[in-house]
Amino acid sequence: MWKSIVAYIPDWKVFALSLIAAIIPYAIYKTFDWIRTADKMKSGESMDSNQTTQAQDPNEWFTGDFAKDLEAVRHEMARHSDVYFREFQIGGIGLKAAIVFVEGLSDKNLIDKHIMKSLMSDYEECPKDRHRTNGNLSKEYILNKVLSIRKVDEARRIKEMTPKVLTGSTALMIEGLQDIFLLETSNGKSRNIEEPISEGLIRGPRAGFNENLCDNTALLRRDGENPSLSLIKFQVGKREKRDLVIAYMEDIAETKLVEEVKRRIRKIDIDSVPESGYVEQFIEDNYLSLFPQVQNTERPDRVIGALMEGRVAILLDGTPFVLIVPVTFSMLLQTPEDYYERWIPGTLFRLLRYFAVFVSFLAPALYISFISFHPGLIPTKLAISIIGTRGIVPFPAIIEALILEISIEILREAGLRLPKPVGPAMGIVGGLIIGEAAVQAGIVSQILVIVIAVTAISSFSIPHYSLGLTFRILRFIGMFCAAVFGLYGVILFFLLLCSHLVKLKSFGLPYASPAVPYRLSDWKDFMIRMPLLMMKRRPKMMHTRNPIRKG
Amino acid sequence: MNCTSYSRSLLISLIFLGILFLTGCWSSNEIDKLSVYVGVALDTGKVTDIENKLEEQGGRYPKKDLMTSTIQILTPQAAGAANKGGQSKQKPYANISETGDSLFEMIREVSLRTDKPLIGHHLKVVVIGDDLARNNNIEHLLDFFFRDNDIRPSCLVFMSSGRAIETLKSKSPDDVPAFKIAGIADNQYRISKILPPMSLGKLKGEMQSGSSFLLQNVISANGEMKFAGAAVIQGKTKKLLGFLDEQQLNGVIWLTGKGKGGLVKSFDEMMGRLITYEIKSMKSTIHAYVDGNDISFRAVIKSEGRLIENWTAKGAPSKNKFLRRAEKAFEQEVEQMIDEVLKKTQKDMGVDVLGFGNRLRIEHPNTWEKVKRDWDKTFREATVKLEVKLSIEDYGAIIDSSIAAD
Repeated sequence: MWKSIVAYIPDWKVFALSLIAAIIPYAIYKTFDWIRTADKMKSGESMDSNQTTQAQDPNEWFTGDFAKDLEAVRHEMARHSDVYFREFQIGGIGLKAAIVFVEGLSDKNLIDKHIMKSLMSDYEECPKDRHRTNGNLSKEYILNKVLSIRKVDEARRIKEMTPKVLTGSTALMIEGLQDIFLLETSNGKSRNIEEPISEGLIRGPRAGFNENLCDNTALLRRDGENPSLSLIKFQVGKREKRDLVIAYMEDIAETKLVEEVKRRIRKIDIDSVPESGYVEQFIEDNYLSLFPQVQNTERPDRVIGALMEGRVAILLDGTPFVLIVPVTFSMLLQTPEDYYERWIPGTLFRLLRYFAVFVSFLAPALYISFISFHPGLIPTKLAISIIGTRGIVPFPAIIEALILEISIEILREAGLRLPKPVGPAMGIVGGLIIGEAAVQAGIVSQILVIVIAVTAISSFSIPHYSLGLTFRILRFIGMFCAAVFGLYGVILFFLLLCSHLVKLKSFGLPYASPAVPYRLSDWKDFMIRMPLLMMKRRPKMMHTRNPIRKG
Repeated sequence: MNCTSYSRSLLISLIFLGILFLTGCWSSNEIDKLSVYVGVALDTGKVTDIENKLEEQGGRYPKKDLMTSTIQILTPQAAGAANKGGQSKQKPYANISETGDSLFEMIREVSLRTDKPLIGHHLKVVVIGDDLARNNNIEHLLDFFFRDNDIRPSCLVFMSSGRAIETLKSKSPDDVPAFKIAGIADNQYRISKILPPMSLGKLKGEMQSGSSFLLQNVISANGEMKFAGAAVIQGKTKKLLGFLDEQQLNGVIWLTGKGKGGLVKSFDEMMGRLITYEIKSMKSTIHAYVDGNDISFRAVIKSEGRLIENWTAKGAPSKNKFLRRAEKAFEQEVEQMIDEVLKKTQKDMGVDVLGFGNRLRIEHPNTWEKVKRDWDKTFREATVKLEVKLSIEDYGAIIDSSIAAD
């Protein structure tokens, strides 16, 4: 009895192997966990050091003495060669006044026709004495009667004034007034509303965001009459402040989500934020992941669509790329056109894209594993032609594939950098001539050229550029896995990828939803797109405040 | 903190990469460093010239020259060169013969003779020669193919009434004989003289059940091959018993109803002219009847088809009459074929290769238990009744004066 039980207890080697099999994933997990916590501690420290703020300099208060103040401002602006001073006298009274503005940022017409004119020539003697105090004009009088400017602020300190002037406002100093006026005259040049280059559609609005935040928010507002569209303004960047607006639907978006977005944006702590990519990298959940956890888009219709599902958009001044959070994997493979076209083509294109993703990151890996590990899995006739074409290739499959893959990547990168007229010429030289010559010279086989070409084409069909980058990187990892373990390695790699995807979250929303966690009702808008008639509710995974979309 | 954390994470990722790359290309074997063998022919031992010369030089190992196995290896480099337009008349395959007793040993011996070791994944056909199969148990001959993990159970098994090695030779430089044999086996829908292909997997089942069965016979002459009848393998000894010719095989197909297409040729009894029937469908139901110790069978064969060839000139009395007469003629033809095959297998050879035993097992399991031990012998005594019903559904669009006349 005992002996027969003992006979079934495996060898110590089996125990050792299973121990190793348990330790390795745990070690990987611990390592990444540790890297992350180490980083958090670091950022925590830096947060502490930033608590001290600069002390106030009392000298910077305006004194009310015109000559002295003007001198102080001149002194302050001495470093800025593009700041202009214009001194003049107000109308008939003869009070001294000066305007300070930045050439190019301020609206020339506005200054000439409205500010200067109203102060100098059109100024009439005050009918009543109560507007004059000690021979000076009162602040209210100028504000209410003289300046025909839409937006006027007041500043009491040079510190308050300088940033405004440097972003296009015009400062107006008047003798006898302690405060100075900041007149909104900024007139930054902005691009017209053009079709977005990175997200072209056949059918759908041609409008794309531009670099101007006001234009972008206006595009969202103009999309339709919708009082529940909330636009909340933040400033990011410590040294170079930029406006950032988060947009959401007041009565749709989950409050917790909005609060989380606000919290993360407040935590951004950096000198300047040149592009929304910075914001993306500061607010994403897992910076070690290869997958983009924030969607960027240039299309207003896409943003509105996301807002209507209860998502939150983040618009940054100075970039046409608007961020959408939270994001799921399936979202990145959809285009607005899926909805604009009828549901059957929409569905088929979606399935096609999923297939293309599969091809784009597994095709070379499968090629390598078939060629160097599993010759029996290739259909006989194909095997013959592969052997025939590979006969003179001196490299193993992995080196062969790497040669071609890397040259394709270089070609792509070079194509981006080159000026537009040269691009196609280089594509021909690189793609056709080198490809053909490499086959002729026996460096790579024809079959591989086909595989790599199909891979490249498939990766172009991914609608989201950042996701395309992800799969370009994964392709190489897959190729190495295939070269080491064959199909077994490819499967391990795929499982690893799946487990990562399932664990990944974007703003609390599981990245792989609605597949995992499984919500059947959301599958209506997943790999297939059901007719609009049937999509009566907003996605369940968003926990929207108002789940009913239709009917 | 900062510095150490980065250097440590760098170190860890280096270790991971190191572990990954240290494994190298584990057990990889590039496809172009292998040779694919697609056909094997087994014959009685007959040492080839090259082998003789090699043995004279000292290339020998302990063995009995029991059989000669000929392995057909593809040489795709030649095929590839030919595709590129070069008029190379090099054949796309090469046959290597080894003589010995263990099949596995012979296949591994090939590794001493070529730089590219053999892989069996793509093995398509195994052809066994007449002499070898008459004197050896087929199960033993094929044991290696059943056991090898690389070889697929879909590999087909054939018999050759000549030397099997001849069937792996071809005259034309474009054909690979192994592919050709496997390809001809697919032509069942064109002619009813081809057995449903017998794969290794199916053959394994036949071996287990112990019943007698048929294998397609392939013959070859001057590098041209032909499927000609079938070989009868006795269930008990698993040895070759004899061959059925084409006409008899046709009868087998009719009786078992396994045909997918083909023809029946006959002569109109009134005018003695040729008429031909194209088989569109074929169905056979066999019933077993037990009456005491008497076992009898009744086979009902039904077929639908069309009149495809008619040489009778004008004067056929009426369309329907003519068609009934033609049907009758075809039915007689089929009955005759079946009678002939029954006579050959049941009476002469005394084996049941037509599946009667199986029907008896299904319909009368108790009786079957009693007779199954010596079924071939019992079957010899059984009577078989035939009922053949052919119907001509269609006679083509030609306005045949003989038919259109009435």
